[in-house]
Order: sequence, then C-alpha cells, then structure tokens
Amino acid sequence: MKWKKSDLNQYKQAKEYIDTILIPLVPFHLSNDNTMEKSAFQSEVLSVFTNEIENELSGRIMLTPNYSYLKSADQEMEVERLNTWVYDLQKQPFNHVFFVTFDAAWKKNEQAMQGTLVWLPGLHSGDLHNKEMHALIRDQVEQIGELIRSYW
Amino acid sequence: MSEKKQQVSRRQFLNYTLTGVGGFMAAGMLAPMLRMAVDPVLKTSSHGDLANVSLSVDDITDEPQRVDWKIDQVDGWYESEVTKTAWVYKDENDEILAFSPICKHLGCFVSWEGSEDFPDEFYCPCHGGRYYKDGTNVPGTPPLAPLDQFEQKVEDGMLFLGEAKEQGEA
Ligand code: FES
Repeated sequence: MKWKKSDLNQYKQAKEYIDTILIPLVPFHLSNDNTMEKSAFQSEVLSVFTNEIENELSGRIMLTPNYSYLKSADQEMEVERLNTWVYDLQKQPFNHVFFVTFDAAWKKNEQAMQGTLVWLPGLHSGDLHNKEMHALIRDQVEQIGELIRSYW
Repeated sequence: MSEKKQQVSRRQFLNYTLTGVGGFMAAGMLAPMLRMAVDPVLKTSSHGDLANVSLSVDDITDEPQRVDWKIDQVDGWYESEVTKTAWVYKDENDEILAFSPICKHLGCFVSWEGSEDFPDEFYCPCHGGRYYKDGTNVPGTPPLAPLDQFEQKVEDGMLFLGEAKEQGEA
C-alpha cells in the first residue's frame, strides 16, 4: 500500500493485515557540486527500489512518502524528528517499522531509531535504465524482501 | 478625458478576459461529456494488445516458471513502462496456462512453491495465502478467489500474453 487515497481506503478495511511500515530516508542538498549528482541518483534508485518492494508485498506493507532531510543537518536532531513520524503511525496497528536508506550516517544513531534500519551500501552512479542495473535492483529487492519476511 | 477612456477599456478588457475564461471552463466541462457520448465509437479494443513475452512455447514445461515482460501503460497523468509477471506452465493436456502472481487477498506476489511446507502450490508470503496448481484458492487461507489468468495466444512458436482476467468464483 502507498500513501494515496485509493490505497488508504483499502487499508482502513484491512488494517489488521497490514502491519509493516517502510520509510525511505532521502538526504537532500544542492550545496555541493561534487556530490549532488550522486545524492540525486541514489534518491532515484531508492524510490525504484522501495516501489518494487511495496509492489511485491503490498498486501502487508505500507510505504510512506520519503523522509527528506538536509544532508548537513544534525543527525541526532533528525533521529528525533524521524521518531515523531513513528509515534504518529503507531496510532495504527503497525508492528514493524523499517527505514531504508543509502545514507550511512544513520548507522551511528541506529540505537535511538524507533525501528529497523536497512542500510543499502554502494551504488554511486550508473544508468537507471540499463539491464545490469535492473538485475542489481531486482537482486537487492529480493534480499530485502527476505529480510522483512524474516521479521513476520 | 483619457483617464475615463482608459477605465472603460480596462473594464472591457476584464470583461473580455472573463468571458474568455468562462468559455474555457464551459469547453472544459463540455468536452468530456461529448467524449463520453462518442467514446464507445472511438474506443479501440484493448484486445489484440497481446505482448510477446520472449518465451518460446518449447521452453514451457509442466513446472510453473516466472516470466517477466514490459509494457507501456498510460495511467492517468503518466505514461510509464511497467513490468508484468506471470507464472506459466503446461497442464496435463499440453494446454498453456498463465497465471497472474497477484494474490487475490491483498495483492502480494505469490510464488510457485514459495513455501517448503506446501509443495505443488502457489504460496503468498504475506498472510500465508495458498493456491493449487490450477490457480484455485485453497479453502481456509485468506484469498477468496482463484488467481487471475492471462489472455494468451501463440504465434510463430512464441507466447503472447495480454490482460489478466478473473476466473469464476471458486
Ligand atoms: S495478500 Fe496474499 S494472503 Fe494476504
């Protein structure tokens, strides 16, 4: 399920079956010429990626909009802000919260996060549309899907 | 005086624009109605839009295999390439069957023999939904209907698949 009207309509009628939340963590900046392309690319890949996972497990997973933050922002503050998202969605019967990101900075504060951090390493550049990239993404989707299922 | 003239023309100008906007809105409202009226005539049949899924009929066995292919889909605002998936096999009469992997419960992807505990069945990882090899839902598991089946044809030894259609209630 996604955070859109038609899905939410279905969600309200089947809440007890959708017990898992997926939040993509996407750093944003335009300040550094050297890294902005890489950041944008990773954000694109991440959205393909999370959409795929949602697609395969849509009957049990709710994918939220991206959690965006400034790359240079204070990490501890961000963890706090992110946790307010979790407190909000805990008003519904969700048992599992997963954060997915390419940004290794979250690793340092993993303990304080109210959910499971899934950090995907690598992927600095490439072409989103070529075959190898598809295969790569498929492969990762499969693995993360397995990881998520192991929590169920 | 010139000032007076200007005011009139400004009022006129506003009037014109408003009429223009009104006209646009009216056209905007009428167009879809008109379209609806003639739509059945214009509508091209969605049949015949079967896509080659790059699978030779000779490669289809009695073991369901996963087939992925791409189609262009226009979905409201966006035109996008979407990946479609099917489980394809031949039954005992050598008839080709192509099932949609979308679970009829809440839409997760089912896999052939996706659980070791249930050999010879399609399995949904989300809430343990199960289907027999012929797509029929296993009673007592969450899905209430059999898996959808794709429209299909064979041309030059290649498999073509179209839309997934619901099967009769089981
Ligand atoms: S979505 Fe398949 S059993 Fe619930």
